[in-house]
Amino acid sequence: MTLHTDQIASRIKAGVLGMALAAPLALAGAAQAQTYPDPAQTLDWTIAFGPGGGNDIMARTIVEILNTYDLYPGNITLENRAGGSGAVGWGHLFGQAGSGYGISTTSGSFVTTPLQADLPWAPADFTPVALLATDDLVLVVAGDSEIQDIGQFIEFAKANPVNIGGTGTVNVDFIVPALFAQSAGFEFEYISFNSMADQTTALLSGAIDAMAGNPGEILGLIDSGDLRALAYSGNSTPEALAGVPTMAEAGHPIGVSMPRGLILPPDAPAEAQAFWIETMQRVVETPEWAAYIENNTLTPTFLFGEEFRTFLTETQNGFEEVLRSVGAIQ
Amino acid sequence: MDIFSDLFMGLSIAITPMNMLYLLIGAVVGMIVGVIPGFGPSAGLAILLPLTFGMEPVGAIMMLAAIYYGSMYGGTITSILLNTPGESATVASTFDGYPLAKKGRAGPALVMQAVASFVGGTVGVLLITVLAPMFSQVSRSFGPPEYFLLALMGLLTLIVMIGSNWKLGVISALIGLALGTVGVDLETGQGRYTFGSAELIGGIYFIPIAIGLFGLGELFYAFYTGMHRAGEGTLVDYRKETRFWPTAQDYLSTRWTMVRGSILGFVVGVIPGAGATIASLMAYSAERSLSKTPENFGKGEMAGLVAPETANNAASSGAMVPLLTLGIPGSASTAVLLAAFMLWGLRPGPLFMEQNSELAWGLIASMYLGNIILLVINIFAIPLFVQIVKVPYRMLGPCIVVICALGTFTVNASFIEVWLMMGAAIVGFFMRMYGFSPAALVLALVLGPLAEQALRQTLTISRGSFDIFFERSASLSIIAVTIGLVVLLPLMGRCGARAKAGKKIEG
Repeated sequence: MTLHTDQIASRIKAGVLGMALAAPLALAGAAQAQTYPDPAQTLDWTIAFGPGGGNDIMARTIVEILNTYDLYPGNITLENRAGGSGAVGWGHLFGQAGSGYGISTTSGSFVTTPLQADLPWAPADFTPVALLATDDLVLVVAGDSEIQDIGQFIEFAKANPVNIGGTGTVNVDFIVPALFAQSAGFEFEYISFNSMADQTTALLSGAIDAMAGNPGEILGLIDSGDLRALAYSGNSTPEALAGVPTMAEAGHPIGVSMPRGLILPPDAPAEAQAFWIETMQRVVETPEWAAYIENNTLTPTFLFGEEFRTFLTETQNGFEEVLRSVGAIQ
Repeated sequence: MDIFSDLFMGLSIAITPMNMLYLLIGAVVGMIVGVIPGFGPSAGLAILLPLTFGMEPVGAIMMLAAIYYGSMYGGTITSILLNTPGESATVASTFDGYPLAKKGRAGPALVMQAVASFVGGTVGVLLITVLAPMFSQVSRSFGPPEYFLLALMGLLTLIVMIGSNWKLGVISALIGLALGTVGVDLETGQGRYTFGSAELIGGIYFIPIAIGLFGLGELFYAFYTGMHRAGEGTLVDYRKETRFWPTAQDYLSTRWTMVRGSILGFVVGVIPGAGATIASLMAYSAERSLSKTPENFGKGEMAGLVAPETANNAASSGAMVPLLTLGIPGSASTAVLLAAFMLWGLRPGPLFMEQNSELAWGLIASMYLGNIILLVINIFAIPLFVQIVKVPYRMLGPCIVVICALGTFTVNASFIEVWLMMGAAIVGFFMRMYGFSPAALVLALVLGPLAEQALRQTLTISRGSFDIFFERSASLSIIAVTIGLVVLLPLMGRCGARAKAGKKIEG
């Protein structure tokens, strides 16, 4: 009991002292002294994109799982801080350096946006928690195309220059077909679109020959036979695309994918990093997470802590090399 | 009939007390997000999307869809009363809506917009019910060549938009086209005029520009004319208000406008990527070029308000067609709906309506009910909204500044966009003073990048040959429609006018 009162007394003292100097600083200091996580602290969860996007859905799914299984003791506020292709949101997290109470999910733009704009941060600056999944692409042709499989596609592309569509240029949509074509030995024109919707209609209208895209949004069209899946860029083909070979199985491994992971601010306390690594290991065991992976046709890939940082650096270097070679970035 | 049994099945699903409550919540939230400038339907959907996690998909999708089309009703209210578009699809509604309010016809204008929205929305749902499979063919025939021709058709309507002083109009449009070049070049991936700023990667979004040009620009102009000094002076002369309800003449003169606006809006809405904003701008231009009194447009012509209003609501229904029949979202808001489908573990695509017929028809049936609910809410809410114009200008003015700044900020949480809005406000003030055309600037800013990207995509596909425009049947039909609308109709109009003039002389 005495210990308890002492604690309160020292807290009050710290508080009074803090008010005299700089209140927020002193309070933060008091919190750091506690073991992580302190239930009194609110976890500030940044979603660097608007609602409904892949990043948003992932963050909300994780938080839902944390709440359902009581994996995090404090309050969590989810905030969509969209703008500048993720620069605003991750910039906000970057500004919380040293804190263990800021957190964010990553997606492809986490790697590509720093390549396009002058930002104060690089992906490797943040404290890595875990890579949880990768977004991989499926190469598709229209259902009425004569091309039945990836072998025929490569043969066709070698004989006739093909048009392949994708979303944006500084994006995995361009990098995957570029690396694949390099390996398979054909040339193609890349047609860049603003969104998956635009490129899908262009393919259905017969304007382009093929496209690379996230399978999730076009599974319905693949099921109905309007689109034909030829190859998948990930390590293993998701269940929904059973029977479609991976690019590696077709003899042309790509080794590039978009990281869906979790990060803390730069220089976050080691106990915060350890807590989240352990927590995420439990999250990925839940049936809800399995359903998320399946609904969004992601490839489950796990890397924790420093291994995730290495992955991010390697991915960014790979991107930079390809994009520099085509002149997309200086 | 198959359709009717499906629709009745949908109705029986939609009309449960819980679902009707969700529908009502969606309609009210939609109205509210529509009223707040900048804060559009996709942001409103964001707020309620997480709440739908534990809900039945039917109720949830009814609610989310109601937010989307409900915002088309609400967005016009500030367009009419404050010259500040509530969201992007109601920019065109400021062109004649605000002059109508200034003439003392705020009440009739608000009622007519509600009626026009209802007609557009309902005709849109009717067309979905009967012709969704047919229109899904339209959405899937659009590739880059067709988008370019569509954007070109829109740009040709600039000719009617630029107003009486064509030199100033052309300069306005060129400013819009120039602003449209900012952002990462889609084809090469290189930044254009982004100065390394991450917030400019995506280009200049036209909402801050429109809010600045119309809303704040108008405010500055009012200050310039000394309106704030007049103690009792109000933005809109309410004392002139003779009657609240529209006259029979208002309904009669715009009955064909509503039909044209609904059909045009629906067709444009069906095309993924075109959406309600382009539909409303095109409907406005088309109505103006068809009108017998084009000189009254921009000065408070009822048809100039009704055309974009029916079109944006019909387009929001039309955008459901590619979503339900192909699983392709036609706009930012339907992209959120698509994400919602996927969250619930549904698989959007051509088989969606078959596999989830209860959900799909429940949604369609709810859209009939939702439009009725929105019409009723509007009619009751309008007397309240009209009170805004009774507030003295010196008190209303500062509020408008705050609303414009806050509204701009909420779109993307970007300070750069707030500064852009402020800059556009100053430019808007001078444009107003010297007779430039802010409408032409906004239209060029919307369509310029679309045209540029589509043309470059087309020419990359065809390896530089323009023949591709004549090889695709969809392209050919658009070319035919463009020639008909832009060349033949005005010519016929001119001949008709001459014939009339001739008769007069004879008489």
